[in-house]
Amino acid sequence: MIAILFDGIVQGLQLSLMAVGITLIFGLGGVLNLAHGQFAVVGGIAAALLIEAGVYAPLACALGMLSAGVLGLVVDRTLLVPAYRSAGEERLLLGLLITLGLSFVVNGYLDFKYADISLTLNLATPSFNVGGITIRTASAVAALIAIVAFVLLFAFLKGTLLGKVIRSIIQNEVGAGLCGINPGRIRTVIVIMSAMMAALGGITQGLFSSLGTEMGNELTSYALIVTVVGGVRSINGTLAAGVLLGIVNAFASYYVGAYLTLIILLGTAALTILLRPEGLFAHRT
Amino acid sequence: MKTYLADYVTLILVAVVLALMPLGLGGSAYYLRLATLMLIYMAYAVAFNIIFGHTRQLFLCVGALAGCSAYISVVLVMKMSLSAWASIPVGILSAAVLGGVFSYVSVRRGLGVIFVGIVTLVSSMIFHNLILGLRQWTNGETGIETKGLGPALLAPGLGSYYAILGVLMASLVLYHLLMRSRAGAAFRAIADDELAAELAGIDVTMYKVLAATVGSALIGAIGAIYAYYGGFINPTVYGFVNVDIAVLVTLLLGGMGTMLGPVIGGVLFTILDEIVRPLGRINVLVYGVLMVLLVISFRHGLVALLRKLTGARIP
Repeated sequence: MIAILFDGIVQGLQLSLMAVGITLIFGLGGVLNLAHGQFAVVGGIAAALLIEAGVYAPLACALGMLSAGVLGLVVDRTLLVPAYRSAGEERLLLGLLITLGLSFVVNGYLDFKYADISLTLNLATPSFNVGGITIRTASAVAALIAIVAFVLLFAFLKGTLLGKVIRSIIQNEVGAGLCGINPGRIRTVIVIMSAMMAALGGITQGLFSSLGTEMGNELTSYALIVTVVGGVRSINGTLAAGVLLGIVNAFASYYVGAYLTLIILLGTAALTILLRPEGLFAHRT
Repeated sequence: MKTYLADYVTLILVAVVLALMPLGLGGSAYYLRLATLMLIYMAYAVAFNIIFGHTRQLFLCVGALAGCSAYISVVLVMKMSLSAWASIPVGILSAAVLGGVFSYVSVRRGLGVIFVGIVTLVSSMIFHNLILGLRQWTNGETGIETKGLGPALLAPGLGSYYAILGVLMASLVLYHLLMRSRAGAAFRAIADDELAAELAGIDVTMYKVLAATVGSALIGAIGAIYAYYGGFINPTVYGFVNVDIAVLVTLLLGGMGTMLGPVIGGVLFTILDEIVRPLGRINVLVYGVLMVLLVISFRHGLVALLRKLTGARIP
């Protein structure tokens, strides 16, 4: 029981790591990034290629994250510009369609070029004991990484001036602009950060099983479910929803099987949009 | 008083050109099949145009609606030994009801375009998983052979080409009738400015639901016909990439909110698909690039471009 719960929490944290990026980009840029899972995959595959080339694994992972960040920068500065230029529904629509197209570009390219590459990270000790419960080292490391990442993110958002600026844009873009904030600059920073966090999520996936080139859409859909349930404008909500859905996922997979689990998760997302479009936990950003 | 001469001329031209096309194909079965598939994608795009092009409801569940109708029809034929003629309407009805409900709920909840997109995308995924899960009826990923189940008319060949051309022309005529009615005026008003339309006394909910229902019914009809024509169905046949992306690209290429757009888009998309197919796996990449380019720089489509270049009134 406790093992399942723990597994669920770890999985949830990992999901949140990806989902929070979607939340941030949507909150700041008004673009629903349907290529977010692809960022994760690009980071992971880059890391895998570097490891294959003989680079020390942690360094390779860091460089993998960096490459996802670079991809984020390029996408933000080129592809998304037309979306940012328009406003309202038009921007939402453009952003959605552009990132959807981008996800196919990335999928197609990776599948074409690196079809048989996947990221698998093996740790020295597979598991250890705490108080009679066997814990996989991979889970512990993944949990730790996610927690550290979130602590850093919250510290950044609450503690620094830039963080305050970001929150102000999420709350009211026009108002922030009137205060002399340049949303474009900040947006780029956020897209890079989100892409790197997604890559981190993808790389931690490599700790448990393996991260393949074809997993982008799957990761995007899981992250999207979490984002939607947590509220597309709420960072706290996304974190909470990620953990909650991770636990639901773990228990449901154990008791009713993977197929029904996915339907339960998807159904939750659909119902959330219909009943509470602002998200289950949307009180504060 | 607006005259509809341009519409009539276009309809007749499209019908004549498409009807003569098999002559130009020189009796090759491969090209005939390709042409038939082209008609099917054109018809999907006509239906999607009503929903998305005119009332801005981003239905990312075209494949799911088509598949839903197809599977219901095929399973009814197989398990209940109904005739295909009786089961296709059931499939169409279910797609229409589903589309109508999606639309009604999202309009009532005041969901923006993005949320409609997410809800329908999520529903597509639910559909896909249901088909995989309800193995005893749907045979999961393996799919169902539909050869010999459907009407003989839909067996591959020249007969089915003209039958499906009939369906496409019927949907274009339906589109024309819809656009010249009160509903068409309402659609144009909604596409321009929804709030203003509401304030002018247009029942936005009713017309959006109408567009979604009619469009979904058409999608359902085409999905079911395709099930019998194709001879085989599985979740991938109605998958997101195979249907939704193809239809979206077709419509964007041709031009949203136009009558000729889905037809021109369908021709271009088919030619393009033929060029890309030999490249194998990289075709997904090409679709992606094409979609991004279209969205960024060619959002109004070919019909708008032709209108600008020729100055003619192309419907």
